[in-house]
Amino acid sequence: MLRFLIRRTIGALIILLILSAVCFFLFFAIPRDPARISCGEKCTPENLELIRRSLGLDDPVPVQYWNFLSGIFAGRSYPTGDCPAPCLGRSFVHDENVLTLIQDRFPTTLSLTIGAAVVFLVFGVGAGMIAAWRRGTALDKFVSGSSLVIGSLQIYFIGPLVLWALVYSTGLFGDPAYNAITENPWKWMVGLILPWAVLSTIFASNYTRMVRSTMIEQLQEEHVRTAKAKGMSSGTVFFRYAWRGALIPVVTIFGIDLGTLLGGAIITEFTFSLPGLGALSIASVFKADLPVLMGVLLFSSTMIILMNVLVDAAYAFIDPRIRLS
Amino acid sequence: MDSPVPAMAEAPKGAPYDPAGLERGSAGPGGQKTAEHIGKSPGQLMWQRFKRDRAGVISAYVVGFFVLVAIFAPLISKLYGKSPYTLYNSASGKPELFDALGYPIKPNGGISGEFWFGLEPILGRDVFTLLIYSIRTSLAIAVAVTLLTVTIGVLLGVAAGFTGGRTDTLIGRFTDLMLAFPSQLFFVAFMPVITAMFVAPEDATPTWLRVAVLIGILAALGWMRMARIVRGVALAMREREFVEAAKVSGASNWRIIRKEMLPNLVTPILVQGTFELPTVVTSAAGLSFLGVGLVNPTPDWGLMFSRAADVSETVPTFMFFPGIAMVIFVVAFNLLGDSVRDAFDPKAAR
Repeated sequence: MLRFLIRRTIGALIILLILSAVCFFLFFAIPRDPARISCGEKCTPENLELIRRSLGLDDPVPVQYWNFLSGIFAGRSYPTGDCPAPCLGRSFVHDENVLTLIQDRFPTTLSLTIGAAVVFLVFGVGAGMIAAWRRGTALDKFVSGSSLVIGSLQIYFIGPLVLWALVYSTGLFGDPAYNAITENPWKWMVGLILPWAVLSTIFASNYTRMVRSTMIEQLQEEHVRTAKAKGMSSGTVFFRYAWRGALIPVVTIFGIDLGTLLGGAIITEFTFSLPGLGALSIASVFKADLPVLMGVLLFSSTMIILMNVLVDAAYAFIDPRIRLS
Repeated sequence: MDSPVPAMAEAPKGAPYDPAGLERGSAGPGGQKTAEHIGKSPGQLMWQRFKRDRAGVISAYVVGFFVLVAIFAPLISKLYGKSPYTLYNSASGKPELFDALGYPIKPNGGISGEFWFGLEPILGRDVFTLLIYSIRTSLAIAVAVTLLTVTIGVLLGVAAGFTGGRTDTLIGRFTDLMLAFPSQLFFVAFMPVITAMFVAPEDATPTWLRVAVLIGILAALGWMRMARIVRGVALAMREREFVEAAKVSGASNWRIIRKEMLPNLVTPILVQGTFELPTVVTSAAGLSFLGVGLVNPTPDWGLMFSRAADVSETVPTFMFFPGIAMVIFVVAFNLLGDSVRDAFDPKAAR
């Protein structure tokens, strides 16, 4: 286990290094003048000079990249302020360290992700199990059919639709908002309930379809048939034997989905005006705040890679036949 | 169950998807030959099975309908007598149909005998022509992206699967690396940066460049799944008798790839392409929705959603036209993909 974790961590670090290099060079090497782009259309020479200095653009690009990397371990100091390690750079738009901005926004994204994950796991997996349990019946057809349609919905369609139907025209819900769970758990939940519902619809159907098909497959496996033949109750067979086998694909896509969401649910946050990482990145795109974008990209990739490692480790717990090596 | 234990053990490396059914031996579907199978090519059998699948046939018609609408959008709007670029809000149009804020005065977003789907708030375009031209733009972009991803995916996949060894490892690592990119964030972050490479900051970006960059970025991060599937099929096929026979008879690698492998790759590529095209449409629309894809006045599906979200409080009708059209579009493509896959590989149907 330990060897596996060490090996995967080294692999993850290498991937992150390559990724950061690719992003860095695309951001800072190819455009004609990153300071000019960051400065926007109405640019004064003073602003341009300030941006150029705060980005450290006087140095050659490899030196800049080295400064960026060493900043992560040793910290850096900018003309506008200090950035202690681990330093992911400094935003000149917000006059703030990138890591501070990410730390400010991450709770929103985390809340959105956790809530949505609970909803789509419960409903998605539940519906899939029901469909497999009652395979071939009208209920199964209904679940399969509706999961196909629900899976084809897009957040940028149902988001505004839900806002219109439940907020603007009927007033059943207030405007979605983020409130810290530490201050008021009830307000936290009420403010996020619509985003959770909308975000989870597009994920849930994936789980339904997959759980249904793997459960059906598992129910015909030999170990499940043996359990049945031994006279175990159908509930035990279903949940203890078949479900365990169906768990692996669920864990696989759950890891992928979680990793993606933790990096910021861009469209959901944009639609519901939630101040998460996705909203931060889209705002940084419009302000051409390259250091922030760079930081968020690295952070999101780290989440995806981290989840991959966790998923692979989880396989060993679910299925002892799988060896970590 | 063909191979319960190995299939489980392999699961972590990705779903045990076996598009060509190559792992299942060469007994053919079901292993038995009935009267209707005799004397028919696999293609004919597949067509026969597909025709019997009612959902598949209907979805094929729906997909065909969307394709025809996209191709004949100029003709349709000519017959209908309007263009998606006419701004009815302006003095030369019909300003009496709009209020001071630019919203249509008539109820339901200004639907009338003249404007079937109503009028667009703010810019004041005709929604019907706007929608069919948006479908045209989105479909054209998606087809271009899909063709590019197929090309890249097949090249890398065949190279990895056929050559094996170090090339395979290298391409596999590269694919894994690309999969670690947070793709949506990458699209959002790099659209403006890549565009800035070609345009001076004080100039306006021409539409064709936006489209080209959009296609390029979507393809650059979209080929990985195709490459993995093609690699899997190519790898399995390398061990098959007909490839070995070709090798023994002295055929060159290039000839084996072209004559023996590519014909067998057509169906998995077709199935995967059918599944991928609607996701390209939806992610391109998502980018325009966020404001980093195409920009008005180019008719585009995503831009219609962005306008719909802006005005959903006052003109809710507007969102239903692009919204329902897109749901039908995506459902039809997914059903078609399922049916093509089932027709090709009946054992995969569950």
